[in-house]
Amino acid sequence: MTGGRHISQDDLTLYALQALSPEEAAEVRAHVRECEVCRELVAEINGELALVALSVEQEAVPEGARRRLMAKLAAGGAGSAPVAEARGRGEVVPIRPAGKAMLWTAWGAVAALLVLAVSLEVQVQRLSARLRQETAQTARLMEASAHAKEVLGVMMAPTAQRVVLTPARTKAMPIGRAIYLPARGGLIFQANNMAALPEDKTYELWVIPMNGAAPIPAGMFRPDWAGNASVMMPEIPWNVPAKAFGVTIEKAGGSATPTAPIIISGAAPAAGE
Amino acid sequence: MHKMGLALPLAPLPVSMAENPLNPNSAARRSAYEAPGSLDSAGASQASDEVLMARIAARDREAMGQLFDRYGRLVYSVALRVLKDPGQAEDVMQEILLQVWNGPATLAQARGSVGAWLAVVARNRAIDVLRRRRPSDSVDDVVLAASGDLASEVERNRMIEKVRGVLSKLPQEQQRSVDMAFFEGLTHAEIAAKTGDPLGTVKTRIRSALIGLRKGLEA
Repeated sequence: MTGGRHISQDDLTLYALQALSPEEAAEVRAHVRECEVCRELVAEINGELALVALSVEQEAVPEGARRRLMAKLAAGGAGSAPVAEARGRGEVVPIRPAGKAMLWTAWGAVAALLVLAVSLEVQVQRLSARLRQETAQTARLMEASAHAKEVLGVMMAPTAQRVVLTPARTKAMPIGRAIYLPARGGLIFQANNMAALPEDKTYELWVIPMNGAAPIPAGMFRPDWAGNASVMMPEIPWNVPAKAFGVTIEKAGGSATPTAPIIISGAAPAAGE
Repeated sequence: MHKMGLALPLAPLPVSMAENPLNPNSAARRSAYEAPGSLDSAGASQASDEVLMARIAARDREAMGQLFDRYGRLVYSVALRVLKDPGQAEDVMQEILLQVWNGPATLAQARGSVGAWLAVVARNRAIDVLRRRRPSDSVDDVVLAASGDLASEVERNRMIEKVRGVLSKLPQEQQRSVDMAFFEGLTHAEIAAKTGDPLGTVKTRIRSALIGLRKGLEA
């Protein structure tokens, strides 16, 4: 679409509207990241789209909405849990300092639930469309799916308490856990006991490809006050088998290449292991 | 996007777009949003958006309440227009406001126009919900230029009326295309299939509608 030149205003408008195909959008996004002129045009188009948004009928917010918001703030500003995406088989990859082995039973169970949620969700949709007569089975699947979603909601809720259990009197060490599905570019990462960073620094997660290619940036994060952080479904290329994962400290805004030292890292087991 | 939990750096954009041959209309475009009285009349009795955002960054819950009072209705209305479901629309509104609470620095992307930024983010998130997909773009990625801060209810209502007036005077097919793309979240290919028009026509029509809207506001 770009051919190394600027992108037409027609296409930038569709990009701002998210009306391009995923492939086209990725191409425009890559160009816009590098091109100040097109980036500014997108900003201006977004300004125009805001005017369109203004044209809607102004509806009163539901009763109690303000109270519910304030209650959430008082409870620590819990966001909505991200919705689990349709996922296939997942690989579980530990990331931790050498010698740390903990919580893998629980983590594996959560990963299994993630996979379960996905397959159940897919089945529910298929059954609803094609097998309307089999309502009993659909209901059972939906119930199971709802349960799995609840588990995922807890896992992903920003306000959930995350506790890393270690042998008594052991100093808390930074630890990260990654679930990676190369075939779908799916990556879920959670970290605990991460040290606080100065304002001008960020942690950055890296996928180190199996084929020896350069590490792929897979999202930046800053831990909360308790040292917890997560990266959910960063935009990364598909079908890149990982040799390892690592986390570095970079300048705020991130880096294209990792800066030593690696804070935590973990080697990926072979697929299917 | 892969940038999670952190505001993207606000790209410095010192280039005068009016000098850019690709964008001869930019100077005029900006002026459309800078109509006299539309930007700086938030009123002495209420905090400006900037002050409000600074207080929110300092974890002032009351400021968050004020932001809700100022823009909650707009955000909710946009989400409701897309989703047609009050429960889902409120979920979108709550989610977006909580994101603001948890990362107010991202509003640097709004370049001083918090209301306009929230309206666009609400639309994008609502479309994600409509399409049952995970957020296609982090809110950090929505950068928005111009439009004024809309902080004053009087000015906001004035702008709403003006925009409605201009939109209603656009050719019917342009109105319909923008409606399908913006509020129904259809891709240009889907719009083309629905209307029977060529893809190129659909693209041009949407762009023309936005240009028409801008020019209409200048008039």
